[in-house]
Amino acid sequence: MASEPADVLIVGAGASGAVVALRLAEAGFRVVCLEQGDWHDLADYPGVRLDWELQQRKTWATSPNIRQLPEDYPIVEDSPVSPLMFNGVGGSTLIFAGAWPRALPSDFRVRSLDGVADDWPIDYFELLPYFYRTDRAFGVSALPGDPAYPPDTDEAPMPPLPIGSAGLKIARAHTRLGWHWWPEFNAINSTPYDGRRPCVQRSTCQSGCNEGAKASTDLTHWPKAIAKGARLITGARVRRIETNDAGLATGATWIDREGAERFEPASVVVLAANAIGTPRLLLLSASGRYPDGLANSSGLVGRRLMMHPFANVAGLFEEPLMSWQGQFGDLIESLEFYETDEKRGFVRGARWGLAPTGGPINTALPSRAGEQVWGPDHHLHVRTHLGHGANWGIFAEDLPDETNRVTLSTTVTDSSGIPAPEVHYSMAENARRMLDFHIERATESMLEAGAFKVEVDRLMRYSGWHLLGTARMGDDPETSVLDPWNRTHDVPNLYIVDGSCFVTSSGVNPTSTIAAIALRAADHIVESRFNQQVPA
Amino acid sequence: MTASSASSPMSTTGGSEPLATLDAGSRAHLAAIAGRLIPEAHGMPSAAEVLTDDRVRFVLQARPDLVEPLRGALRVELGDDVQARLDALGRGDPAILGALHLVIVAGYYTDRRVRELIGYPGQLAIEVKSGAPSYLDEGLIDAVLARGPVWRDPVTGRRAEVAGAPRTYKERVWSTTAGSTQGGNDGGDST
Repeated sequence: MASEPADVLIVGAGASGAVVALRLAEAGFRVVCLEQGDWHDLADYPGVRLDWELQQRKTWATSPNIRQLPEDYPIVEDSPVSPLMFNGVGGSTLIFAGAWPRALPSDFRVRSLDGVADDWPIDYFELLPYFYRTDRAFGVSALPGDPAYPPDTDEAPMPPLPIGSAGLKIARAHTRLGWHWWPEFNAINSTPYDGRRPCVQRSTCQSGCNEGAKASTDLTHWPKAIAKGARLITGARVRRIETNDAGLATGATWIDREGAERFEPASVVVLAANAIGTPRLLLLSASGRYPDGLANSSGLVGRRLMMHPFANVAGLFEEPLMSWQGQFGDLIESLEFYETDEKRGFVRGARWGLAPTGGPINTALPSRAGEQVWGPDHHLHVRTHLGHGANWGIFAEDLPDETNRVTLSTTVTDSSGIPAPEVHYSMAENARRMLDFHIERATESMLEAGAFKVEVDRLMRYSGWHLLGTARMGDDPETSVLDPWNRTHDVPNLYIVDGSCFVTSSGVNPTSTIAAIALRAADHIVESRFNQQVPA
Repeated sequence: MTASSASSPMSTTGGSEPLATLDAGSRAHLAAIAGRLIPEAHGMPSAAEVLTDDRVRFVLQARPDLVEPLRGALRVELGDDVQARLDALGRGDPAILGALHLVIVAGYYTDRRVRELIGYPGQLAIEVKSGAPSYLDEGLIDAVLARGPVWRDPVTGRRAEVAGAPRTYKERVWSTTAGSTQGGNDGGDST
């Protein structure tokens, strides 16, 4: 244990926790982070091995309910979409695809523009300097100048990654259609950068990058934070955040690998455990003073869960595209139909990302292509699919709904005996209409590109990568959990910096925006440190 | 900084001889099912032929969690009729059927000859080439820029109008060096 209490205790060593840890360690804070998972070496990742696709379906699955590793906690799912995450140093950045789009300006003004949900207390332009800083820290490869965004003043740290044969085919189709497309922004090196190697297009990003080319925070942030004095404790499962009679957070009680209970004191506590883990911990931290859970006077802790309903539209092409290769973080994107057009029968929109299509085991098993892949025609099925596909992944904006929520299970616990989270989630009619519209347009895209067949997965179950909204920020303590600087309204020395803080979900992959908001919150902690209330 | 060890869940080695858990009858059922699902056709061998002990051992050593469901799929009570067995599993235990499918498919498509026949060399390491991408020369980016800004101005609620927005990529500065190759820190903190 530390001889002195931490200035700041962070729970979770993923994207947002790492950003905050590095910033505060550089500013001279005594930083301690508790992470229930462990470090992983590049050699752990199965992408270079023959059994890659086997491991991706178990040990390196994106769902903790499938992995069932000792560091995972079970999630009780009352939902058509399974929440996905990874517990380890780097968190879900170890297994995320690496796509790095920013939320768009309209995403922060949903109520004002479209009369639904709520406006954020911050906006795109306020975040822009933080986007630039996190782009450099994570290492982003991009073609600057995307007209789907306001003009940038900073260039991208690295040139864009290749868009591949499939990307080029779709880009030409969108040129004919007059539709937007752009090479994807990816937090994946296209050149040597910051001591890490460039991408080799192996396409196994979602089971860890063997090259270290993808920006996972175990590589991009933690070594630097530790060099600056941050202390990262792994195998540390936090049971609750403790508070004193004054209502201030005093630290965290946690369970070590041997099952022993420990306490880590701190002046400030920062939760960075994702939008399921964080509300779970707040609800677990109920006390006499906070009977409904910590920081929950609004009653919104755990509510408004958003996960981006996801559809997949796959085009099959006669010519070989070698589409098992390429960065999984996306080849190109389209934001042609991102903004509201009420004539479509719904509000808001969706982002499309074009991704590689996977290897032979994934191709050969029953899937959206149907159950009948067996018999003599099995071989024709594999020949027409393997390396001949292009996939539009469609991320629909998920509007907040208080009935979509995280609660504590009364029957299921993790291996430490701590109640598991229950996820109650259903897709709204607006999102259903949105996905239907986008599936039709994406099908047109594929057909224009020359696809001889288009296969659709209208709502993919294992697609809950983007966990958002369960401790929203806002100006009013009665209608929000956090203030605009990510500090809880109720507990002045408790911050939440993960995707829980999102007011609305946007329709894009959120990690870039989560990182920028976390960095902004860390700056605020630094700048307000002399006014920060701390326990005696 | 690795947590892996031979006994770690991250290890790819399972039991020393997982095939020992399958008796001759079970192996015969597995071969019959494999041949039904993936028969010899279109110049490809049948899975019954490909799924040698080596291939099944490879799969089960990589995924020891599949041993028990495989044994369940091959249990004698389900009879000798392959289709009736598959139908019964599909109705009563789709998870076990899924494990059976995975063992057969994984054994088949990790076989070197099969991979050669389907033209799949595995996930290759391909160097990313430097230089301006071809789609710039082809004018595909210019076509996007020519249509102007796509984003919605949150002040007006309409598609943004940006004075002087580049309408071709040449109007932008193309930098192949694109800044520093050092990620640096997260702060620029002056305190």
